[in-house]
Amino acid sequence: MQLKREEGGVRRRLIAASCALLSASTGRGEEVPNSGIERALNDWSLDSALAYYHEDGRVQVIEPVVSVSKAYGDGASVGLNLTFDALSGASPNGASPSRMPQTFASPSGKSFAGGKHTYTTAPGDLPEDPHYSDLRAALGADWTLPLERLLTASFGAKISYEDDFYSGSADASIARDFNQKNTTVSLGISYEADSLHPIGGTPVPLSNYALFEKTGNQSKDGAGLLLSLTQVMSRNWLSEVNLSLDRFSGYLNDPYKIISVIDAGGDVRGYVYENRPDSRTRRSVYLDNRVAWERSSAGLSLRYMTDDWGIHSETAQLHLQWWTAERDKYVQPTLRWYRQSAANFYTPWLFDFTTPELSSASSDSRLAALQALTYGLKYGIKLRDKLGRESSEFNVRIEYYQQTQENGLPGPGALRGLDLYPDLKAILVQIGFSY
Amino acid sequence: MTIRCGDVAHRARNSPAVPLVVEERTPNLYAACFSAMASPCEVLVHTSDRRHALELGNVIAREAWRVEQKFSRYREDSMLAWIHRNRGKEISVDAETAALLDFAAHCYELSDGRFDITSGVLRRAWQFDGSDRVPDKATVENLMPLIGFNKLRWQSPELLLPFDMELDFGGIGKEYAVDRAYDLAVAHRPDPFLINFGGDLRTNRPPPHTPWQVGIERPDSEREAALVLTLERGALATSGDSRRFLLKDSVRYSHILDPHSGWPVPNAPRSVTVAASSCTEAGLLATLAMLRGAQARRFLEAQQVQHWILE
Repeated sequence: MQLKREEGGVRRRLIAASCALLSASTGRGEEVPNSGIERALNDWSLDSALAYYHEDGRVQVIEPVVSVSKAYGDGASVGLNLTFDALSGASPNGASPSRMPQTFASPSGKSFAGGKHTYTTAPGDLPEDPHYSDLRAALGADWTLPLERLLTASFGAKISYEDDFYSGSADASIARDFNQKNTTVSLGISYEADSLHPIGGTPVPLSNYALFEKTGNQSKDGAGLLLSLTQVMSRNWLSEVNLSLDRFSGYLNDPYKIISVIDAGGDVRGYVYENRPDSRTRRSVYLDNRVAWERSSAGLSLRYMTDDWGIHSETAQLHLQWWTAERDKYVQPTLRWYRQSAANFYTPWLFDFTTPELSSASSDSRLAALQALTYGLKYGIKLRDKLGRESSEFNVRIEYYQQTQENGLPGPGALRGLDLYPDLKAILVQIGFSY
Repeated sequence: MTIRCGDVAHRARNSPAVPLVVEERTPNLYAACFSAMASPCEVLVHTSDRRHALELGNVIAREAWRVEQKFSRYREDSMLAWIHRNRGKEISVDAETAALLDFAAHCYELSDGRFDITSGVLRRAWQFDGSDRVPDKATVENLMPLIGFNKLRWQSPELLLPFDMELDFGGIGKEYAVDRAYDLAVAHRPDPFLINFGGDLRTNRPPPHTPWQVGIERPDSEREAALVLTLERGALATSGDSRRFLLKDSVRYSHILDPHSGWPVPNAPRSVTVAASSCTEAGLLATLAMLRGAQARRFLEAQQVQHWILE
């Protein structure tokens, strides 16, 4: 029993089918299959990158990443990736600048293991722990398999290890194609469980910094839901919408962040450890459009996120890509704009006459109202093998990040005239090779 | 002695002696000629350097020969022969064959079964050699149980081809080869070029100030062009029966067979040419139009594509 089709629709569907055919891999140079083993050795690919991230006057991170993946002809694939991070340098401890020198004990990093380290911040400077260092190793695996012609399932798992933080996560998603594979709808779930072992113990929230009140290890976990719709709008235009929801609960504080307690005259009276609510629910919507022409492409993505901490953020990213006429080199400039409002418990300092009534407070600048711009440029070269086939790619990416805090409270008394909210500037250099 | 393009076309296929010839047509316009898929093939390249034309010609010819080698009905070492040897067994095909089978499945579905890559068995009854040998009804009727894409078990990449059935990529292979060769050529050199595999064409762009001129044969003549089209970008494909037909009792039987009946589609135009962005798309639209018989024009008008029909 065949249905009578609408005449004019044939071409549209034929375009989609031709597109799918012509974008499929050709297995060029492949022989008639003899054994399963021979085919099993093909199609492995390797991606590697080395990134160097440097914040002006603060931390630097060196991060090598290696991932291998294998695609099977039927759309199935497996992948493994390994990441190392070596972080070192100075990190703001949350206290405000002051007219007086301020001395702190360093709780963070390996340096603490050998005994109490102290550091002193000069008048007018933003207090930063100079001994911040961390090593992280992460291992991830993913697996995609087609269930039937239009249905694909994906699974992923990841573990990550740091001196003071262990994390494990897993996710699963299912995607269904519709409309001649022009429309894909997918639904994913994820779960993450983390265990925190702060160096020197977990500080009692809002306790006095000088009293060293510590408790044992902490944990947090979270689950997320992601709904995604991808639509091929035309031969060279792809559009995607994502809706996501996640909720984390447990210990959500940064155990190394403190808050200055000042009096009405702006003089420091002491410090307390921060405290954040014990749950956070985030919702976000993401829209991405990509358009490709013969030798160039462009992408514009927008994201809006809101959470129950009072943070609303907007991100807009534009990237363009141009290929040379020989299609062996490309250049890709990127511009990203980000803005967020402050968490409702964000405060740059506490007054000594308000502290007892507090339930949550943090001076972490990442929870403040801020605006950031990232300028990026990527340059890639396709390398060919002896037969002239593209076999690998080498690329270099440079990004410059500039972050400015907004609507900062003016400092009372002695804090007047100090740079309480210094800008953050960072540079990222990444060298990548894929085969 | 200078070997000319015309010589290549008449050599035996796969002759190692003269696989590819480059000749200068006009200043800065070279033609690289070779033979593949039982058709004369030609690549026109606008360049001042003959070597560039040779380079592009080689890339394109190699791809044409690769596709031919893989999907040829006539070769023992082809992927298709391997599939035919494994009838009745569940086999796992490579990604490219899978993509072609998926494409064939789409075409089967959107033509309501009129486009069917299992209908090649009808060749046992029909030989379109210009004679009057029209088969009898029983011969055709006996072949009908072997036709029907829906009788395959196809779930990418697993294929089960029932005994006695045959696959034939002839209806899409040449157009597909044009598009594949095009992709490689575009990635290889920037010069304007026009690929022509036996009347299926695709170009990246025209030479400066002069669009490509393409002649479409008159159905009853091999030499004279019935219409000259200009092509700036994209692809042109023609489906027609200029040489392949039977004539009996003054009825002309076109080589376009309807898999539903096993008989030629009645009142099909002599030739249909369609312009589209890819050769695969153009070729399929032309074939699907032919399969509509007298409704070909109406079908193409509904698709809103540029087309030329010779009745």
